[in-house]
Amino acid sequence: MSIQESIKIVDQGDVAVVEFDLVGEKVNKLNTPVMTRLKEVIGELRKSKYKAVIFKSNKNKIFIAGADIEEIKAMTTKEQFEKAVSTGQSIFNELEDLPMPTIAAVNGACAGGGCEFIMACDYRIASDDSSTRIGLPETKLGIIPGFGGCVRMPRIIGLQAALDVILGGKLLNPNKALKAGLVDRVVHQAILMDQAKIWADEIIKEGAEKRRKTFKPKGAGVILESFVGRPIVFSQAKKTVLKMTHGHYPAPLKAIEVISKTYGMSDREKAMKIECEGFCEMAATDISKNLIHVFYLTEMVKKQTGVTGVEVHPKEVRAIGVLGAGTMGGGVAYVAADKGIEVRMKDLNFDAIGKGLKHARDLWAKLAKKRVINPYEFKQKMDRVSGATDYSGFKNLDVVIEAIVEDVEIKKKVVGETAKNMRDDAIIVTNTSSLSVTEIAQGHPRPQYFAGMHFFNPVHKMPLIEVIRGEKTSDETIATIFELSKKMGKMPVVVKDGPGFLVNRLLLPYMGEAAFLLQDGMSIETVDKAYVKEFGMPMGPFALMDEVGLDVCVKVLKIFKKSFGARIEMAESMNKLEGSGRLGKKNGKGFYKYDEKGYRQGVDETVYADLGLSTPKDTLTTKECIERGVFAMVNECALALLEDKIVETPHEVDLAMIMGTGFPPFRGGLLKYADTLGTSYIVDQLEVYAAQGRARLKPSNPLRAMAKTQRKFYS
Amino acid sequence: MSSRSPRDVVIVDGLRTPFTKAGTKLKKVHPADLGKVALKELIAKTNLDVKSVDEVIIGNTGNPVDAVNVSRVVALNAGVPQSTSAYTVHRNCASALESISNGFEKIKSGTMDVVLAGGTESMSQMPTLLPEKFQSIYEKLFAAKGPGQALPLLMQLLKADLKQIKALLSGNMKDEYFPVISIMKGLTDPFVGINMGQTAEILAKEWGLSREQQDRFALRSHQFAVKAMKDGKLREEIAPISLAPDYKETIVEDIGPRDGQSMEALTKLRPFFDKRTGTITAGNSCPITDGAAMVLLMSRAKAEAMGYKPLATIRGYGFAGLEPERMGLGPAYASPLALKRAGLTMKDIGLVELNEAFAAQVMACQKAFDSDKFAQEKLGVSNKIGEIRDDILNVNGGAIAFGHPVGATGTRLVLTLAKEMRRRGTQFGLATLCIGGGQGGAMVLENEN
Repeated sequence: MSIQESIKIVDQGDVAVVEFDLVGEKVNKLNTPVMTRLKEVIGELRKSKYKAVIFKSNKNKIFIAGADIEEIKAMTTKEQFEKAVSTGQSIFNELEDLPMPTIAAVNGACAGGGCEFIMACDYRIASDDSSTRIGLPETKLGIIPGFGGCVRMPRIIGLQAALDVILGGKLLNPNKALKAGLVDRVVHQAILMDQAKIWADEIIKEGAEKRRKTFKPKGAGVILESFVGRPIVFSQAKKTVLKMTHGHYPAPLKAIEVISKTYGMSDREKAMKIECEGFCEMAATDISKNLIHVFYLTEMVKKQTGVTGVEVHPKEVRAIGVLGAGTMGGGVAYVAADKGIEVRMKDLNFDAIGKGLKHARDLWAKLAKKRVINPYEFKQKMDRVSGATDYSGFKNLDVVIEAIVEDVEIKKKVVGETAKNMRDDAIIVTNTSSLSVTEIAQGHPRPQYFAGMHFFNPVHKMPLIEVIRGEKTSDETIATIFELSKKMGKMPVVVKDGPGFLVNRLLLPYMGEAAFLLQDGMSIETVDKAYVKEFGMPMGPFALMDEVGLDVCVKVLKIFKKSFGARIEMAESMNKLEGSGRLGKKNGKGFYKYDEKGYRQGVDETVYADLGLSTPKDTLTTKECIERGVFAMVNECALALLEDKIVETPHEVDLAMIMGTGFPPFRGGLLKYADTLGTSYIVDQLEVYAAQGRARLKPSNPLRAMAKTQRKFYS
Repeated sequence: MSSRSPRDVVIVDGLRTPFTKAGTKLKKVHPADLGKVALKELIAKTNLDVKSVDEVIIGNTGNPVDAVNVSRVVALNAGVPQSTSAYTVHRNCASALESISNGFEKIKSGTMDVVLAGGTESMSQMPTLLPEKFQSIYEKLFAAKGPGQALPLLMQLLKADLKQIKALLSGNMKDEYFPVISIMKGLTDPFVGINMGQTAEILAKEWGLSREQQDRFALRSHQFAVKAMKDGKLREEIAPISLAPDYKETIVEDIGPRDGQSMEALTKLRPFFDKRTGTITAGNSCPITDGAAMVLLMSRAKAEAMGYKPLATIRGYGFAGLEPERMGLGPAYASPLALKRAGLTMKDIGLVELNEAFAAQVMACQKAFDSDKFAQEKLGVSNKIGEIRDDILNVNGGAIAFGHPVGATGTRLVLTLAKEMRRRGTQFGLATLCIGGGQGGAMVLENEN
């Protein structure tokens, strides 16, 4: 019954309006029952009197979100994939083959299978609503479009544009979609259906003809699309993909292969078969499973409140304050004001505030230049940010983010002073990366309104926020900060207070191990290259240390040594860093050299001598370099997760590592990766490395226990 | 102390931007942004719940073409909710006194409880316009169909351009091809056709005010302003403004008051408006200036309910008209009205802010206030309004030093007056100013302490 209701034909005379409204769900998606019903509807339409059909969605801000990931996740065998995909393809073929012209009237998200659906229609009209986004994000999930997307897209919008859309996996806004030719018309949402009907009437009047999917390139496209040009287009696309992915992501390459084989092919069934084979091959890979896992992690956050077990309601946050302007303050101001939150920056003087204002303004200016935002939006966003050297306006703030000097006594004092100048129910959070949230909370007269909110640098780029629960932090405070993080477009993970919280606690042994690799005669570029090219990190450990600041790394390592004792060892070279004047990127002098604009140049070869090291001989294998660093993280994580319970689930660890450090998503996260290798393998390897006089790499008890019983982090 | 009523209209607090000489630091700041800074910082300073605001009323005379109801733009930029109405008022030099009196009436009548009022002006950004000769060509050009019709018109335009160059070279501003400089037009009386400076010349001559007397008054203005600045008094009413796009510079003080201003320097200046027999110079007139000022007005009941301790109560106001060519005497016509409505006389007034458009005009007002003859002939009453003693007049300097951003000055006077009344414990004060076109405006405040 309900599935009948989910896709309905509404009679409008000569025109049939088919309404999608998946019963019991917020979004329309394509799963087996929906596809079966769709087939039924198409069957009815085929035999009907209608001269044209319009497809629309009754959901708010969603046309069709895509295939049901849940179903894809549940499938394991090639046969299952093949059956699902070929069924989908044949239903969309039937849609394409309907005798009467079809129009898709798109309002809201139209992604993946949704986009492939509208491409099987003859005509496409879209609303200009900000929710309308059209495209094929499949490659981001390690698969390729499988319901005819690889075949139809190049025929509709041309080869080059289709490659851009499919390989980039980005969704197009209505105007971009119109420009690309993916939709034919764009109108205001309020008149979308009226216009679709007027168009249908026009088409009927002109003879109700089907549209043929022939493609005629224009201008330079003529050459690129020709038999001579095509190989160049494909090889160029492949080169770009390889450069960006270092070969870790096979899906975009598979898409190129499928498109190159099927483009221009007149036999639709044969083309679809090639696409289907490509899809099945990709869907069966671990990489795809991992990417879908990561997608799941991000979806999980959308549904969470940051508090488990009890129902809490986050408080509305309309205005925030930032203590300490500068780059961090400016970055926070940018992400908040960009999403409509009023921001008040406070610092000691207007020079400092000016730096924060400039930082935010420059980021928006870049968007304005690229026409992502118009000049009016640019001004509105900028006008939401103001600065002061006093507490004026603080009674109107809902949350204040403290980003001042990392000194616990100063922080306590400032937090107390700030609390006095705010409403009693307002929240203060600290952006500390190395101090105890619970200890800073002592400065607050009402510590239930105090928590940690740890942003990662650069704030506008890094999606992770660690929401740190102090001993006395209330559930409502956690929920409010969790919701605020999401409102800022970030991924929050709630962590317990403890040295380094989660991400830095795991990163420190990793960076520390890199310093030991240096001592063992490895070169900076070999280690960094191994992590980037082989393992897939966005940057190697040395480049990362330069970004963080070498003084900060040494300082935090020392704090860790104090907290955790013997299992944190510090390489001699790290000790020598102190006082060497090398601070990393911020003073242009670290493991690498930097140009005036702060862009990383080559390795600073003088660093070896400075740290008392001889010329590197690169004697260790890439495997050892990677394993020692990554397994050091896994080892620490077993303690953090299972013993100290810094976070509650492996999901949170993986989300935090991917969003906070760029841990390669195709590996599914640190613990997913550990599970893939198996804990017993990791323990064995750690034993081997530890036996060579590296006590720090001894497997931790919880990890050993897991290995003994062959347990996985994800059970 | 006069009796208090819940419907009294109180000034909770106020703020202004630095007033900076036109063409200097704030020349690139749009008047809507000047207004935004003052309003946004006032909202912050008072921790005002913006949802409580009933209306925003802002004075402006330049009427920026890209923000014609500049009040609305200021309000939205400052974070006032979209559901709150806003309008702009124009009463020339008193636009920002008009905005306060509008707010006063609406609150007094019980129609509203919370009004943000003020004024903003960028005299740097007042445009230069094309003369009528060009407009008629453009009109036809925009309506032209095809190059056949457009070409002869473009030729006409070219000819007009050449004529304009000729006019510019000759410096003849009366030439019908000379560009229309809107600020010059604005400072010329449209009824009698003389410049504001020339109206001051008339007063100087009629009231026998020598060049030296005027220069001395100008010197006093600078000296008082500089002292107030150094004493940190002005910081209390100024919201700093950081300059986009790189925000390396923040303007925290007025640009106008000159430390070390000397009589010698003032004496050297040539008369500006009447080169032969005149006494009005750039030194004893107010400079053209950029700036904005805002105040938060509430009914006493509302202010108390929201926990505010207001600065002052508005006891009355008045506007009056006179001969346009003697517009500088406006305060002498408007002040008696305001005092009468407040139920007071000049004897009750302990502090006066009288806008310094021209030294001659202020001094003429002082004489008129103290003259029975003036009272009898012009006001139709037997006794003089009452003396304005030097020691209670513009004690922190005036527009000759700070400048006169036309649409913002009214609020600046009220704000400066209220703050100084608070410092001195003065019970009643008078803010008054002359208005181009032949009017005067005045407002009487009572200290809340």
